[in-house]
Amino acid sequence: MRNIIIAVAIIFLLPATVRAGYRQDFEKEFLTKTWAGVQMEENVCISCHASDTMKPGYREITEEWRSSWHAQNNISCEDCHGGDPKDPALAMSPQRGFVGVPTYKDVPDFCGKCHIGILASFRESGHGKALKSGGVSPSCMTQIKAGGKAPNCVTCHGSHNIQKASIDIINEQLCTKCHSYERAKIMKQALFLTEDKIGRIGKSIEALKREGIYPETDEKNLFSTQAEFRALFHTVDANIVKERTDEFTTRLDQIDNNVKATYQELKQRKNFSAFLMLTFAGMGIVISLL
Amino acid sequence: MWKKIKQWLDVRFGLDAILETQVRAQILDYRIPKNTNIFYTLGFLTVVAFCIQAFTGIILLTCYVPHPDYAFTSVQDIMTKVPYGWLFREMHSVGSNLLITIVLLHMITVFLMGNYRRPRELTWLGGGLAFIIIMIFGYSGHLLPWNQMSYWSTTVVTSMPTAIPVIGDTIAHILKGGDHITGVTLSRFFALHIAILPAIFVTLIGIHLFLIYRTGISATPFGIADKEERPQSEYKRKGHPDGYPYYPTFFKKQMYMMMAYLAVMFFIITFLPTLYSPHDANIAADPFKTPHDIRPAWYLLAQYQFLKIIPNKFLGIALQMILVFVFLIWPFLDGKEEKNLMKRPVLRGVFIVLLAAWVVLLYWGRN
Repeated sequence: MRNIIIAVAIIFLLPATVRAGYRQDFEKEFLTKTWAGVQMEENVCISCHASDTMKPGYREITEEWRSSWHAQNNISCEDCHGGDPKDPALAMSPQRGFVGVPTYKDVPDFCGKCHIGILASFRESGHGKALKSGGVSPSCMTQIKAGGKAPNCVTCHGSHNIQKASIDIINEQLCTKCHSYERAKIMKQALFLTEDKIGRIGKSIEALKREGIYPETDEKNLFSTQAEFRALFHTVDANIVKERTDEFTTRLDQIDNNVKATYQELKQRKNFSAFLMLTFAGMGIVISLL
Repeated sequence: MWKKIKQWLDVRFGLDAILETQVRAQILDYRIPKNTNIFYTLGFLTVVAFCIQAFTGIILLTCYVPHPDYAFTSVQDIMTKVPYGWLFREMHSVGSNLLITIVLLHMITVFLMGNYRRPRELTWLGGGLAFIIIMIFGYSGHLLPWNQMSYWSTTVVTSMPTAIPVIGDTIAHILKGGDHITGVTLSRFFALHIAILPAIFVTLIGIHLFLIYRTGISATPFGIADKEERPQSEYKRKGHPDGYPYYPTFFKKQMYMMMAYLAVMFFIITFLPTLYSPHDANIAADPFKTPHDIRPAWYLLAQYQFLKIIPNKFLGIALQMILVFVFLIWPFLDGKEEKNLMKRPVLRGVFIVLLAAWVVLLYWGRN
């Protein structure tokens, strides 16, 4: 019997020697392979830009994008620049919607294809008007530094390495590149409480998810409230932000109450299962004493 | 009232005779070896745990929708909207992991006590196959909530068969129902989980219990001596006429273990609700977003890590299959008379090394 088993084992293992590979091949083929259908198709923009034939400045773009908020949310090259990422010949074809690099002035429209609400607010803002007029807006004229360009989206958010937006983008170092920090500071103060509340509710929702609850409606409401509030901020008008803060606070309070109610529900569940645990433990003790 | 019902039933199919001949003779007068220990209840506990899984599973089945567009939402609805849905889901989820742990412990203790030996080879084989079915149960149920963790770990595990030459790709294709994890895969796993596997498992457990009943309960090689005195060439049931009655001595032990099992289950639900569900378990499956860290469930981690460290993927799969095969037919290979593992240093050494390797691989796979 034992000899049969050994013989079967040897026969079974034989193909292993025929198909012998190397660790690297194994990892490439089996462990680190991207599995999903769409991702398995090579993005020609990335493969070309990451190749050695590309100039160093262009090569960095792919690395910057990989660590960006856009990459984390599956926003790829073609979503902004157009073109066909599956076909090298048509990757940069205008017929496939390729628009390439926008001019400085056109950047807001370029980003605004997706960030529609923010684009509308930006156009109404001092920043937007200044950009449109080709230099400075009347309201900012006295503050903007000599020779400075009016800002577009990239000035504050960066381009390919764009990160998740936060209130920390408003900082003295960045704002004073163009003008004094005073007005920006007032704006930051006006935003602070609401942004802080959004952040806290966001963390509570994440904690709920870790507990196995997915508060989809509250998460969506928080996202839309945050998006609208941030669109409002892009007017860069502290008075408008202050005027409408109460409206956003009410909406956030509603979401916060829902999240708190869910936490309360979780607490009751824990109490109930703890009661069941103690009941069974008690019954076990009684049985062992019988 | 009860007396009238009993009499009514007795007239129709002889209830009294059944109670007297079957219940009394087969259960109440059943004798258990004097040296049984608490580990002898693990088989009973497996049946209890499986019944809990079946009951909670049926409850979940009434609300779960096996479709990629609704599976995740329906599970969330069970957790948030269905009255006490969270309780049944937690019991099912925690219970599945506990069930695998108990069956594993049962196999280890049976092995340590040498209770797989002649004439119980088939009992061991049936139990071993049931253990594999339980693992497939867990694995198939893992995909059903359709979250990131389940989707991607299933993607990896269903790709493992591709390591087998010639037929590997076909096996993977059949499992997935295509090249990728899709709604077809979900339907297949759902059918496997709720219809095919329960039937196979119940059959195997039925055979296992039948064999235990026919061969009689084996005594431990530890403590009070209990030699298997029976002819090797003909059938004879081991009866333990000098043993303890099943009821109440052993029945009490079983009830105690059942309460301990439920207490542990609710301890995990209360204090460690996310023990078996990491963060990715609460995000809907996204085929376009590969998580950084894809890992299968804990009971497949050691196997997964083993595949990672063996440079040739077929060799990794082949070695594991040989190990499983040897594990299943071990009673047929073990020809030694000695039942006590403490008196068999080589086998004890191999067993400890294998167990330690499994623990190390499991821990390694986690990181």
